[in-house]
Amino acid sequence: MKIALSKVALVAAASLMLGTTAYAQDKTFNIWWYEGADSAQGITWTKALEELKANHPDVTVNFEQKTFDQLQQSGSMILNSAEAPDVLEYNKGNATAGLVSSQGLLTNLDDAYTAQGWDKILNEGQLVLSRYDDLGVYGSGHIWGISTYGEYVSAFYNIDAFEKAGVKVPTTLEELTAAFETFKAQGVTPLALGGASTSGQHLLASLAYTKADDTWVQNYQGLKAPLDGAPYLFAAQTLTDWLAKGYITKDSTGMNDDDASLQFTSGQSPMYVSGTWNLGNFSANIKDFKWGQFVIPTPKFSVGSTGNLWVIPKGSKNPELAKEFISLLLSTKYQTEQANNGGVSFAADPAGVTNPVGANASAVFAQIAAKQGLGFYPDWPVPGYYDVLNQKDTGLLQGTLTPEQFVDEIKQVYDDAQASQ
Amino acid sequence: MAGESVGSHRRGYYLYLIPGFVGLVVIVIGPQIANFVLSFTAWKGVGTPRWVGGQNYQRLLTDDQFWGSMHNTLLYMISMTAIPVLIGIVLASLLFDYVRDQFGEKVSSFFRAAFYLPQILPLTVAGVLWGWILNPVGVANAILKTVGLGWLAQNWIGDATYALSAVSLVIVWVQVGYCLVVFMAGMSRIDPALYEAAQLDGAGWWQRLVSITIPMLAPEIFVVVLTTLIAALKVFAPVFVLTQGGPDDATLAPSYLTYYHFFTTQRVGYAAAVSTVQMILTLGLAVIFLMFQQRQAAKGA
Repeated sequence: MKIALSKVALVAAASLMLGTTAYAQDKTFNIWWYEGADSAQGITWTKALEELKANHPDVTVNFEQKTFDQLQQSGSMILNSAEAPDVLEYNKGNATAGLVSSQGLLTNLDDAYTAQGWDKILNEGQLVLSRYDDLGVYGSGHIWGISTYGEYVSAFYNIDAFEKAGVKVPTTLEELTAAFETFKAQGVTPLALGGASTSGQHLLASLAYTKADDTWVQNYQGLKAPLDGAPYLFAAQTLTDWLAKGYITKDSTGMNDDDASLQFTSGQSPMYVSGTWNLGNFSANIKDFKWGQFVIPTPKFSVGSTGNLWVIPKGSKNPELAKEFISLLLSTKYQTEQANNGGVSFAADPAGVTNPVGANASAVFAQIAAKQGLGFYPDWPVPGYYDVLNQKDTGLLQGTLTPEQFVDEIKQVYDDAQASQ
Repeated sequence: MAGESVGSHRRGYYLYLIPGFVGLVVIVIGPQIANFVLSFTAWKGVGTPRWVGGQNYQRLLTDDQFWGSMHNTLLYMISMTAIPVLIGIVLASLLFDYVRDQFGEKVSSFFRAAFYLPQILPLTVAGVLWGWILNPVGVANAILKTVGLGWLAQNWIGDATYALSAVSLVIVWVQVGYCLVVFMAGMSRIDPALYEAAQLDGAGWWQRLVSITIPMLAPEIFVVVLTTLIAALKVFAPVFVLTQGGPDDATLAPSYLTYYHFFTTQRVGYAAAVSTVQMILTLGLAVIFLMFQQRQAAKGA
């Protein structure tokens, strides 16, 4: 009774959120993704979908543009309903792809991995987030999804402003602080920051990774032990120090990533720490100055991972077409296309990549991946941690939390989840 | 005679209630019961819920976020009910009693429509606009700096000192129109002779407001206070669009907490417990108010 009722409520909720979706019919191929239409992935995937259409003129292809939040928040309910598409981009991680795979809502891709020849393109390191065990924990188990691109967080910098101020690209944290000081002395706030958004917690995590070793990252991401707060304490102290010295502004607590990236693209702040998902936007919109990116100096780990996953829902009516589409995206042709659109590719043909942004980003990603330095994202281990980190980060930036209190508060939520798993 | 024939046909009328009743059960009562049952379980949103008894409610008692959000609700009641009702009465009286007499019906209607506009605008749109106005590099601070009041510029939605007030300001802006329109409709019901008599006796605008308008508007005020209090208990959209409950939970509301646990921490049972408490409070408030109103009405009769 209670299950039946809750199912009614769920279906009602899911259909409200989806609006009207046409039911899949024979020869109809439903596909969803949420990368922006002007992102490297969006452009490339649209072209690949055109090729799929051309190869199968008898199939009607229905593409729906979703948003990250839609699937982050209601993805499991959608996949649990009859409204699920034939193939879709799905958020990677335990709380999302892991959860739905453990509930049996996805198609196992173990056989396809070898049958489709994906094993010749991807390596085991790029599959870490494709595999989830029976409990939905990444890293081992069957293959439930395939990523066709990479992403990482780095510092974007204004090359013109650096040259004018006589600042060299920093290779250590000390040099980075010195660069900040030079700009500050010239009356410029050096670092744009969306304190209430993703870039706030990614900066914190990048700083924490300067004090993190393999054990710490594995424990942290695997929810294996109560949180060892030392790296976060260092990150929080560094951040408050930067705030006190004026390298970032207290106003950042009222800014989201859009506001902060605008500070960078408009040339007001010479640096902005964020992910490769900005590459398309920056390539298209920065006309007044040259810009580049450098990795935040850490011993090994950077915030980053393979990209979101292509998953095939259990109820997919066209799994073969879905696999064909994934194969297209992994082909040299579209991997090269993706790099040329400024994206981070696994298997682009270096000779074919003419876009320096995509070539550089793909090369940096390959370097990080080669030393196994993908530290993943700080919000992964605990469902809902994304909001916790944002809230506590703003507390730290506005001065209502000391670095010690900050660590206590995030540790409490982490340890709570760790104990109750 | 007539009573008999109505009585014998009455059963046939119940058939017509079925569609409405089915809607009520499927959309309102069913989910409420499901929600109540779920509040005693641990559930991730998919799979089978696990019965945990009163654990969710126990957790609720010691959850700082929950109590913080309840505390904020009291303040949202001020910005959703108290301030808009007061401003609404004064403005309605000004428009009805003064502006209309001095400047004519058209000017008065124009202002009424203008004050009501925020109610028509989707809150998600209005929220984005207010976000542009209130963010640290936004319109509000830019204007303050241009007119030489730069020292007044604040990080409105990013600083816990101001964030709750900033969100409240937006809520007041939205709510005033609703109060105003209901009050103006009520005023057209009041016998003009009362005002004329008062005017002849030398009563000014303020005296007329206090001695005639407010007592005569009691039923409207009552309805507006009840509906806006319920809305304050359920406030969600302005918080969601402007601050996501931040900075550091300074603007958190119970509905946002429910949403957060339902959709991101996957503690669906816990989210259900929060919303059950919210529902009981709302129902309790409504019952108390309706009883109070009935007593008033009985007294009046």
